[in-house]
Amino acid sequence: MKEITLQMQELARELLQKGEVNVVLGWEKGTFWYLSPPAFVDKPEDVERLVYDDYCHHNLSKYLMDYRYQEGKVAVFLKGCDSRAFNILLEDNQLEREKYVLIGIPCPGMKDQEKAKEFGVNGDIPLAKKCQECKYPNPLVYDYFLGDKKAADEAAATKEAKAKEYSDVEQMEKMTSDEKYDFWSSQYERCIRCYACRNVCPACNCRECIFDQSRTGWIGKANNASENQFFALTRAMHVAGRCIECGECERACPMHIPIMLLNKKLIKDINELFGEYDAGVKVDGVLPLGHFDKNDPEEFM
Amino acid sequence: MMKIIAKERLPEVLQLLAKDYNVLVPAKFEGVSRFTPYSADVELALEENVLMPPKDIFFPQTEKMYKFKAKDKSLEIEELPVEKEEQLIFGIRSCDLKSLECLDQVFLTKGYVDHFYKDKRDRTALIALSCLQPQEACFCGSMGVDPQNGVGADIQAYDLKDKIGFKAISAKGQEILEKISGLLAEEEVTIPTFGEFNLKADIEGVPEKLQGMFDHPLWADICRKCLNCGACTYVCPTCHCFDIDSEVRGEDGVKIRCWDTCMFGEYTQMAGGHNPRPTKKERVRNRFMHKLRYFPERYKMLLCTGCGRCVVKCPVNLDITAIIKKIKEAE
Repeated sequence: MKEITLQMQELARELLQKGEVNVVLGWEKGTFWYLSPPAFVDKPEDVERLVYDDYCHHNLSKYLMDYRYQEGKVAVFLKGCDSRAFNILLEDNQLEREKYVLIGIPCPGMKDQEKAKEFGVNGDIPLAKKCQECKYPNPLVYDYFLGDKKAADEAAATKEAKAKEYSDVEQMEKMTSDEKYDFWSSQYERCIRCYACRNVCPACNCRECIFDQSRTGWIGKANNASENQFFALTRAMHVAGRCIECGECERACPMHIPIMLLNKKLIKDINELFGEYDAGVKVDGVLPLGHFDKNDPEEFM
Repeated sequence: MMKIIAKERLPEVLQLLAKDYNVLVPAKFEGVSRFTPYSADVELALEENVLMPPKDIFFPQTEKMYKFKAKDKSLEIEELPVEKEEQLIFGIRSCDLKSLECLDQVFLTKGYVDHFYKDKRDRTALIALSCLQPQEACFCGSMGVDPQNGVGADIQAYDLKDKIGFKAISAKGQEILEKISGLLAEEEVTIPTFGEFNLKADIEGVPEKLQGMFDHPLWADICRKCLNCGACTYVCPTCHCFDIDSEVRGEDGVKIRCWDTCMFGEYTQMAGGHNPRPTKKERVRNRFMHKLRYFPERYKMLLCTGCGRCVVKCPVNLDITAIIKKIKEAE
């Protein structure tokens, strides 16, 4: 990863020096050794801030929405999941492809930050759960590719061939309705509605979110189990078919709510009901829930 | 000489106090620690400060203010029953005591008393607990807080590793200590030395310097990674903004007040559509200006206690100590 870091800095310097882009979005070291938060580099002399290490969790594609109406191009580093996020944003007509210089980097999986904090710098830190289950570690869309493409492709092929990991969802499906209700109520009772999950999510790209429409009465300001669950379920249903499994919602949640379990349940259902589908892998306008076809059977109508 | 008890016998003290008070203790459930009503099966979390600050004990995230009935042109207002139960918080840390001092300024001074807050504050006794070690994101020392001696507690308890020592501070504290004195022994003790802070912030001159920095380019830079979520403000022990709303069903309604946050765009959205803080630059600037300049100007104290919760919980590591450093270094 050290080598990729040097290549990142080199390419960023070149793009900025030539004036091809105004800003490069990457990662830099944060307050603690296990944090590599987003970095925004706009001067060639600052490129040495950029790093690529085991903690570059942040999905940078969402930030591209901040540059939609600004002049000039933006370069961004994309791991596998970040590239799926970019595709979803394209699919949702949020971004123009030509405005962004995409620099793909292979991802060996990011490490669990909570465990890193617990085990210390010399500990044997496992990959984050979302990364253990990842099927697309390589960027699926890019203008440049850094690192060893052949080795990366081989690693990705093994992961892609594996069956999807749904054991946690299956465990939940075994619960009775009452047990499910109790489980999710207790999870969402502690939700503080900070909306970190929504704001970090690339599939949450509405111009105005339903939860910000305070005068419509869709959702009240009160924090209670009912409103919180309404928030959770509405968001889960809205990102269904567009969730690219970056797991950022769950990582960003300050209250340890297993948000990805809800998202994965919907991904599993979509796969069972509409055939195999991974969001953000292709940009072809054919979405399981967002695509209109007049030959669709409407048996329930 | 100090009154002490072995740490493993602390539940006996809490049990005894629970006869007279609703005792709130630090406890952890599913990865989130907060002050929780004491019962025999609650597992105490005394190793580090709680994630959720005590502010919601005095200023709940959602609080019912009054009920009303609106029919034709008549309006009836019904006051809600007032809680009378005496409360006691065990294990509040120095940084969080400092946060109560900040909240007191807002809710009790300058000619306005918020009776919702005051009522809870008046019937809550505080037993502070000294810290043995700073956590990696703690920087209270830089904010003028002594992690081993809180200000404003009724009793200061000392973490003596295998024992807990108690020292009464107020008359109320003396009274409480007498209730539990049968369980306590008297001993000469040495308070363990506190470790070195991992995080520091040099706040000297920052409030004054910020007076001339409203239009500084620094804000456009530091805001870029902010997600504008409310995690930092909701885990903050001092952030105290709220919004008042009604829940109405037919003729009946309840007025509620709920935490709000300057990080949300909707927070400054005005009738007619204008928003004076339209982007994250203005919102991020407001958060740090409020903590480090406006509050000190109004109340002569910082609105940050160095508890480190926002540093731990910000999903993008927007670290207030790093911001303070940038302000110091800015030209």
